[in-house]
Amino acid sequence: MKSTSRRSFLRGIGGTALALPCLESVSSAATAKQAAQRMAHFYVPIGVVRRGFFPGEADQIIPKGNLGNVMKSLGNQDPTFSVKPLDKLTPTMEPLAEFKDKVTLITGMDRTFQVGTDVHAQCASCYLSSAEPYTIKGTAWPLDRTLDHIVADKIGGSTPFRTLEFSCNSHKDNKESIYFDNISWYGTGHLAPSIRDPRKMYQRLFSTQEIDRYRDITDLVLEDANSMKRELGYNDSQKFAEYFESIRTIETQMDKLEKMKAELSLVTFEEPTEAYLPRGEYIRLMGDLMVVALQAGLTNVATFMVGPERWDTPYKFEGLFDKPKSHHQMSHNQTKMIDDLLKVDRFHMEQYVYLLNRMNGIVETDGTTLLDNTIFTYGSGLGDGSTHQYNDLPIIVSGGSKHIRGGQHINMPEGTPLANLWLTQSKIFGVGQERFADSTGMVKSLLA
Amino acid sequence: MDTKMRKYVGNTPCFTGHFPVNVILMLRSSIIFCLLITAALVTAEDSIVPVIQKNCVQCHGKDGKVKGKVNLLEIKDVAALSADPELLQKLVEAIDFEEMPPEDEPQLAPDERAKLLAELEALLHKSVAGKNAYSQAPIRRMNRFQYNNAVIDLFDLKCIVFTLPERMMRDHKNYFKPESGKMADSVTVGSRPLGKSQMIESRLAGVAAFPQDLRAEHGFDNQADHLSLSPLLMESFLKLGQSITQSKDFGSKNVGIWKTFFLAPNPEADVKKDVRVRLKGLLTKAFRRPVKDEVLDRYTSFVHQQLDSGVEYSTAMKSVAAAAISSPKFIYLYDRTGTAGAAEPLDDFELASRLSFFLWGSLPDEILLDLADAGKLRNPGVMEEQITRMMNDQKLKRFCDSFPAQWLQLERIISSVPNREAYPNFYYSKYRDSMHMMLEPLLLFETVLIENQSLTQLIDSDFTYRSVLLEDAYGDLKSEHKPDGAKQKGGGVGPLKFDRIPVTDRRNGGVITNAAVMTMTSGPDRTQPITRGAWIAGVIFNNPPEPPPADVPALGEKPSEGEEHLTLRERLSMHRERSDCKGCHEQIDPLGFALENYDAIGNWRTKYENERDVDMEGTLFRKHEFANVIEFKDAILAEKDRFTRGFAGHLLSFSLARELGPADQIALDAIATATAADEYKIQTLIKQVILSEPFQTKTNPKSAEAVAANR
Repeated sequence: MKSTSRRSFLRGIGGTALALPCLESVSSAATAKQAAQRMAHFYVPIGVVRRGFFPGEADQIIPKGNLGNVMKSLGNQDPTFSVKPLDKLTPTMEPLAEFKDKVTLITGMDRTFQVGTDVHAQCASCYLSSAEPYTIKGTAWPLDRTLDHIVADKIGGSTPFRTLEFSCNSHKDNKESIYFDNISWYGTGHLAPSIRDPRKMYQRLFSTQEIDRYRDITDLVLEDANSMKRELGYNDSQKFAEYFESIRTIETQMDKLEKMKAELSLVTFEEPTEAYLPRGEYIRLMGDLMVVALQAGLTNVATFMVGPERWDTPYKFEGLFDKPKSHHQMSHNQTKMIDDLLKVDRFHMEQYVYLLNRMNGIVETDGTTLLDNTIFTYGSGLGDGSTHQYNDLPIIVSGGSKHIRGGQHINMPEGTPLANLWLTQSKIFGVGQERFADSTGMVKSLLA
Repeated sequence: MDTKMRKYVGNTPCFTGHFPVNVILMLRSSIIFCLLITAALVTAEDSIVPVIQKNCVQCHGKDGKVKGKVNLLEIKDVAALSADPELLQKLVEAIDFEEMPPEDEPQLAPDERAKLLAELEALLHKSVAGKNAYSQAPIRRMNRFQYNNAVIDLFDLKCIVFTLPERMMRDHKNYFKPESGKMADSVTVGSRPLGKSQMIESRLAGVAAFPQDLRAEHGFDNQADHLSLSPLLMESFLKLGQSITQSKDFGSKNVGIWKTFFLAPNPEADVKKDVRVRLKGLLTKAFRRPVKDEVLDRYTSFVHQQLDSGVEYSTAMKSVAAAAISSPKFIYLYDRTGTAGAAEPLDDFELASRLSFFLWGSLPDEILLDLADAGKLRNPGVMEEQITRMMNDQKLKRFCDSFPAQWLQLERIISSVPNREAYPNFYYSKYRDSMHMMLEPLLLFETVLIENQSLTQLIDSDFTYRSVLLEDAYGDLKSEHKPDGAKQKGGGVGPLKFDRIPVTDRRNGGVITNAAVMTMTSGPDRTQPITRGAWIAGVIFNNPPEPPPADVPALGEKPSEGEEHLTLRERLSMHRERSDCKGCHEQIDPLGFALENYDAIGNWRTKYENERDVDMEGTLFRKHEFANVIEFKDAILAEKDRFTRGFAGHLLSFSLARELGPADQIALDAIATATAADEYKIQTLIKQVILSEPFQTKTNPKSAEAVAANR
């Protein structure tokens, strides 16, 4: 099918970071003079090798096999609060070198596992909600409305998409459930489904044909609704009004996209093909789509999973290994495969840095960069893939220079809930609530 | 906040799971109908008001006392009472269940009580009959369970549309064979909400469900008033429709009607003309009635336009299919408006839909639609035949996936978390025994249904289904059954093998005393007899208590200082000294205390932790004394007609997607009577529900005036 909206030019696939042209009229921020503030999250599945990631843990015990019932650190972390300059980078963090002054490492943050459901599913799906266990009634998960949607309530209203969800899950099988490749939820049991296919994401962002087809359908069903009205009794026709109300609201949404049509046509992004992409290129293509969506004012809030949780099916990490490998299985064999696993951790960090680079290269109308205006957080729901610990999680916060002080290593006191960071971020974006899930306070040292 | 206030916060109220007052009135029908037709009735009715004035108004109206929010002082004559069927219904219930007067107030003499009850019932029937109208479930969208089923049936999918955690039990090896009339002795099942990876199944990739529809507080997840539509939800319906037909799995392999609908016809044929024929079939099924030409024209020209603009055939058909399942005619369930304000028969297509959404949770199939089209469906012989056919169909599993779990309120087990220190054996690996527990009552229900057994099996069954782990979890209540292949170990988290075992120890068996219900009606540290009592009153007798007043603090999990030596019953009786609590608690407490031998995870005990003996003796409905749980089951069995009628009420409410009202009571009497006459067989009861007048009619006037007239 020929797409009328096919765009064709520069796209920086595979690291040739081509800055998108400065699109004055595109950015929704342009009208507001000041650049819009955005939030993005980069989720790393299955934890990290602690020796490689955490400062001061280089010589600690390597977990043997699957220590799934340990659920705490084998070594000791510093239980006291400290703030130091981000000094020498650990091997896994090394790719961050050029951004050292724009990133802050936070260690010592914990979550609480709720007994009764799978450890991997819970660590991804509840990562951005962090509800206190057993407080969400009628569900087996501590899963609540996630941070991205709470923040989008504040900063997502003016963009066509309140939020966008990316998952770099190229598996073709349904080996795992929705809890494994989704970190974004409107609320308990209400998934904001991630998109895994770059083509699908591209069409969602740019294909006006999609909008047209949508409109065709709404026209058709609206006619049905009109003809139905005549068949209804008095009470029913009162209630049926809700239907028309709903349709109208959706049409306004479509209008927003329609209005941006001309502006969007200035965006230059080649439509992805169906061809297989090596893992790194695939991740970076998904990343490019996220960056362009943030840049162009299509959304202000995005979540990005660099891979799905668990999912034992192996896939290729081109350039790292000769044969397809399963990240999850490696994490249970650290004594044998620690070097390979460290490569995967570093590979994921490189993808994160790639996105930092892209954002840093985009200059907005007020002279700041997209990175300056985006709080972009790296994190995992597990502190280690073998111990399956929910404590001492690897967390890095970048960008957002108006709000965030970079160049630090903050070690939070033992038992600090990860939700404290989510509370801090939600406050930055003007969310009024005084608590976030099981939070006990803010991460004040993070603030500029 | 002072300490007293703080006590209220974070504590569960003393009962949970209240239903609205759904009536129970057992009708000694013949007597009443005789009364009805005699002129003597007028004087009989006249005696109601004096009796009420003499016995009730002291607490219900006089001197500003309006207990239970029932004011009877205002009732000056029969006409006032007759004009208020809801109040009449409450009175009937209070007298019939011997709820009133309270135990420590002057009682009605037995013959006085019987006479009053007969008169009240007669008056209620008369009051309701005069209206000749039922309440009507308003227009409502399908819930997501129905939507999933309807899409599967419309396209004849070989996989599911999206994962539904609300389907609690997963069938792993196709044990469910209703046509055989026999449940397998050994079944492989899985717990969807609590088991490992139980969500994984063949489904359409890229399709995400809209949010789960919660069970209405007082009923089922198909209740019309809960199923409204928000813009967000509307958009997700539109997207959902598209994502379904655009899923990469939506192709010849998974779509049964691929060849006949989505695949381009032989190029020789008249493609455009063919589109119309194909659409006629699809839309008829999707919209559950013949499509009008104008609708068909619209959909056809949509496809023609797509084809003309160069869109490929299958793509165009996918688009139009997406439109069809986004149409309100598909998404909404409703009866067309009637001609008058009174009850009138459903048209044949509405009847077909009511049947199929009741028993299959989905669209009527072609057989039902054809019969409706031929005007034959309401022919009594045909109707019976169809009910039987539907109950023998695989699709009956959907009824089993929705009704029983909701009737038993089983979703409460998901959030039950017994104290780990007190009940360490409840936990294994990272899981909970409740994963196994929740399947036992569901398998019992399915067996009773498929094998058309007596409803009494739900109270006191002579068999049950258990896994090895579940047997171990029961402690002393473990059966003597030895599973074949002794190597089978407990601790399963994926597919679980459950065996049918005979129940010889009557402390086991039935839907009440199983570990799932005992656990979910307990707190983390102790049993909650009042919660259990309220559960029995609501679930078993369909006579739920009113919610407790908001200003009553809950009893602490642990005894407070100086109370350690008391039994739970003693602690509770100290706790509720307020006289306005007594009325309800006299009714529900004995029901809950009867189960005190089952601890907070359903294990048998005879002593409390403080070495005091468990005190469970009591009287059911002030009539049947019991001194152990077996006698308690006998007491319930002695009241099996009440149970049958209560169960019929649950089913009728589920089938009509609404709460029942006073007008439905006559039908419930008839359903219960017919079921009792056929050895309480469950399939007979279902059949009677379908044949009842509320099921077969609608009351859906066009004008506001007619609506008001029925109020």
